[in-house]
Amino acid sequence: MEDQDKLEILKKLLLTEEKEFADSIAEKVEELSKIVHQKQELSHKVDPIIDDKLEQFVEEIPKTLGPTITEALKEEIKNSQDAVVEALFPIIGKMIKKYIAHEMRLLSENINRKTKAAFSFKNWFRKTRAKAQGITEGDLILSDYAKPRLMQMFVIEKNSGILLADYSPLSDGTIDKEMVAGMLTAIKSFVEDAFEGGDQDLELIEYELYTIHIQNFYSYYVAAVISGAYSMMFKEVLEDQILDFAQHNISNKELKNSALFTQKLKKHFADDIV
Amino acid sequence: MTLSKKVVILGHFGVGKTSLFRRIIDNEFSEEYKVTLGVQIKKKMITLPDGRELSMILWDTEGHSNTVEDTRKSYLLGSHAFIYVFDLTREDTYKNLNQDLEYLTKNYKNVTAKAIGNKLDLVNEKEIKAQLKEQNIPFDCLTSAKMNKNVQDFFSDLASELAK
Repeated sequence: MEDQDKLEILKKLLLTEEKEFADSIAEKVEELSKIVHQKQELSHKVDPIIDDKLEQFVEEIPKTLGPTITEALKEEIKNSQDAVVEALFPIIGKMIKKYIAHEMRLLSENINRKTKAAFSFKNWFRKTRAKAQGITEGDLILSDYAKPRLMQMFVIEKNSGILLADYSPLSDGTIDKEMVAGMLTAIKSFVEDAFEGGDQDLELIEYELYTIHIQNFYSYYVAAVISGAYSMMFKEVLEDQILDFAQHNISNKELKNSALFTQKLKKHFADDIV
Repeated sequence: MTLSKKVVILGHFGVGKTSLFRRIIDNEFSEEYKVTLGVQIKKKMITLPDGRELSMILWDTEGHSNTVEDTRKSYLLGSHAFIYVFDLTREDTYKNLNQDLEYLTKNYKNVTAKAIGNKLDLVNEKEIKAQLKEQNIPFDCLTSAKMNKNVQDFFSDLASELAK
């Protein structure tokens, strides 16, 4: 045996373990390179599918998550109503103000245009009135629009707040008139008690665009809901009409017969109060 | 023609006046206690045994802390009935009941006055009846607004009485 062979045998005996280890590492490196290579190949096939799925997911978010998000928002708004209203109030207020200003401008322009176009005795009279007052015809028409109108009238038993009769030139609304009569009486009683004004009575309640004119009698009072400008002149005319109605139409018979009373009230106040 | 009657609910703070009011009007109950400020008014339509309709205008007043004389007089004027509510679990809400009822009947003649012991679900009915009898406390009905016990019957009976 030559020296070279002997050396080989010796190498084999001494380095067997290291060789096996080196072989296993080489094998693992080869496996890893295969995986990497395969992933690259795989991504070509898988990426479009994932992209499609993602796109679909984004499209379906409103359907899948929408109701949950809406529900959560609703709950949040419900739980913090005051905060939401507080935050929205100034914004809505400004929007409404802008909207009304815009609509009024349009209305005024529209009226001016139409009045210029039309000719009639009424228009001629209005033109003269406007000139005499030094205002535009549009403004004059607008002031006519703001004239006071009777919206609802209640005749209410003074202490009990029981509704005796009511009349509205408008169609019957959804308000419960008996409850309104009760609440008006409670408010009236509260104010009259609170300020200890002796025999003084509450005569007026103002609520934004509405005024509640209250006229007191011995056992009942009349509450008239007025929209528009409640002027002193209108107040006097209304007072006279109510007094006139009370004088000629309200007796014990009417106070005990609600249907008859309502009929008389309707007949008396069916025409516009000037 | 519908009959209308004003019925005022009275009593100390926290005896369950508003709970009875809500039970009879909306058939609801809430454990949440909110003090009534001033008065709240609602209407209950009750069909009488003879088929007529009675419109009961209920005034739920804020509770008083001492006697019924503390209740705002103007709320009581023109009433057709008073419902004095007391709490069966709080003796201080009914210890002056006799004097309070006497005050009402003396100052508001011809007005029906009823006394109701509420919160029946929190006490033993037999025991409380015996206790009230022993203390000479008059009552027309014992109710539980929470469990809706005797509430509807009480208001139906009252409506019939008012319609006479």
